Amino acid sequence: MKNLLAVAAALLAASTFAQEPIKIGVITDRVGVSKPYSEPCTEGTVFGAAEINRRGGVLGRKIELLIEDDQSRPDISAALARKLIDQGAVFILSMSLTPATQQQQTVTMEAKTPQMTPMNSGDTLTTQLPNPYFWQTGPLGSIQIATLLAHARAQNLKRVALISDNSDLGQLLARFFRAGLEKAGIQIAAEEVVPRGATTAEPQMQKIRAANPDAMFMAGVLTAENVLIFKAYRQFGLKFPIHSSYNLSVPVYMSVAKGLIDGVTFVDAYDPDKPEVKQFVAEYTKATGKAPFNMHGYGYDGIMMVAEAIRRAGSTDKEKIREAMQQTSYAGVMGAKGMKYRFPEGKRAGFDPDGMVVRVYEGDRQGRVVHVGQK
Amino acid sequence: MQDFLELTVSAAASGCIYGLIALAYLLMIRPTGIINFAVGEWAMVGAFGGYLLLSKFEWPYPLGMAAVLVFMLVIGWLTERIAVRPLVERGAPLLAPILALLGMLVVFREAISVSFAPDPHPVPYALGIQRQSFFIIAVTSVVFIGVWLFFERTIAGKSFEAVAIHRRAAALMGINLSRVTALSFAAGAGAAGLAGLLVSPNVSAHYLMGVPLAIQGFTALVIGGVGRVEGALLGGLLLAFAEQLTVRYAPIPAGYAQGVPLLLLMLFLLLRPTGLLRAK
Repeated sequence: MKNLLAVAAALLAASTFAQEPIKIGVITDRVGVSKPYSEPCTEGTVFGAAEINRRGGVLGRKIELLIEDDQSRPDISAALARKLIDQGAVFILSMSLTPATQQQQTVTMEAKTPQMTPMNSGDTLTTQLPNPYFWQTGPLGSIQIATLLAHARAQNLKRVALISDNSDLGQLLARFFRAGLEKAGIQIAAEEVVPRGATTAEPQMQKIRAANPDAMFMAGVLTAENVLIFKAYRQFGLKFPIHSSYNLSVPVYMSVAKGLIDGVTFVDAYDPDKPEVKQFVAEYTKATGKAPFNMHGYGYDGIMMVAEAIRRAGSTDKEKIREAMQQTSYAGVMGAKGMKYRFPEGKRAGFDPDGMVVRVYEGDRQGRVVHVGQK
Repeated sequence: MQDFLELTVSAAASGCIYGLIALAYLLMIRPTGIINFAVGEWAMVGAFGGYLLLSKFEWPYPLGMAAVLVFMLVIGWLTERIAVRPLVERGAPLLAPILALLGMLVVFREAISVSFAPDPHPVPYALGIQRQSFFIIAVTSVVFIGVWLFFERTIAGKSFEAVAIHRRAAALMGINLSRVTALSFAAGAGAAGLAGLLVSPNVSAHYLMGVPLAIQGFTALVIGGVGRVEGALLGGLLLAFAEQLTVRYAPIPAGYAQGVPLLLLMLFLLLRPTGLLRAK
């Protein structure tokens, strides 16, 4: 009987994978500025696809990922989207920089091909183009600052400093931070920029020291430049608290800013105590031999939501996938405990505004959650 | 006053880094006329050498530093053999090796990019966070004094100068042009790699760190002039002081200060294209 069941299972599996696979396009960045974020996100997607296939695939068919590298360059990302569609991709996952993802939309909108970014945080991705085939599940920049400000509000801040770098995304986040702080009636006593490629942040931190703020907000996304800021902060023996964007949530700071980041709070979409996270970490570590972090979770959730939408659509018809995708209600790895990705009527940004958390560095380790949501 | 003193040390250290990169350019431009924009990538290779030897394998700092220096000399020599000499021997125009070296820039960056994880990699301080600036200044001073003495006091150094002044006449005097070219590339890579190693405890070793350093070093070179070794250091120091004093004291919005190096570059190219110091 046992042998019979094994043969039946093998035949079922064989018939599953004898069918044409479902092709999902992935546009990532393997050599450009987004590589540190795109690469782990893509690894999470690859792991997720392997898990889906291991459990029997989707609609009895295997998932096949077609991965392309756009180097975060908008000028080639649209051409790659076209190439993937021509190769039969029924869905495209975008994992490089926001401008590149935006450019891909010109193709997916025209070709009526579903597209989603599981990691981009630019607020305008779903508002600039009326593209019903595009979704965004990365937490918006505005949600990040609102969550961080909700945490800071409890500390009764009156005057703060704002520091960022001159990257596009750093400037965009600084704009969100500035608007949020002004809306909350908090005075920005000093605002500084550390340019890409700087060898020190001491002059900027001297100006901030002279302004004597209650706290400092960091909007920069360039790791090396952020580390320069921490070094100057420690060298000058400064004591005001630092609140940072999600950029501090990537684990590289634990090694490159060793001894510099104790007490820094940062906004994140990853709660290590969440049951889904614990299960994901255990399975990923077992399968790959290395522990994942939050960026892997974005990619994993992305492919899981796509697979779920195709399953609910019951076919690979793009229009049916679009309709199913819009009805998504999915609890994944990312987000605070109990959070579900959803696309309310007319919206295509699916990260719950109350789904982010604020965590604190304890020594060199990313520590506990100290705040949840925007309240 | 405290701010100014702190800034003086910080700007002097940054200026030394720019000066070393400018020196790398200068060592190659003087005898060959070739501008090698891959110096920034050489600095990156030096930084990654520091990460491997000092962070990963935890070698003692002096030994690791010496090993990186020797490795960079070999890299420079190999670059000349692979990308420059074949073109020069075939009588290619000067632009050909410059373009070939731009190709090498991509080769170096991609080689590091695929060999290491994309995140920045930590490199330890030689003498701790508070003393790193003084260490940079001390090492750079030793390098510049050594290079200056080499050119001013040794026959080999004079042969470099002779090639710089007139290649054909130098060849007729029996100076081995190929050897001078190879040595100039080796020394250039050594200076650039050292700059990368010295700055890496502050900025970490990162595969995209090369281009900004190449631009800053080139600006320092234009300011100081290609004629004299000390010009490279002077240019680097002036650039760093201009950058940092502007950020700290100029009443302009944050972010505008980053235009200062570009402004200086344009001013010098327009008003004094030979730089501050001219060849003797």
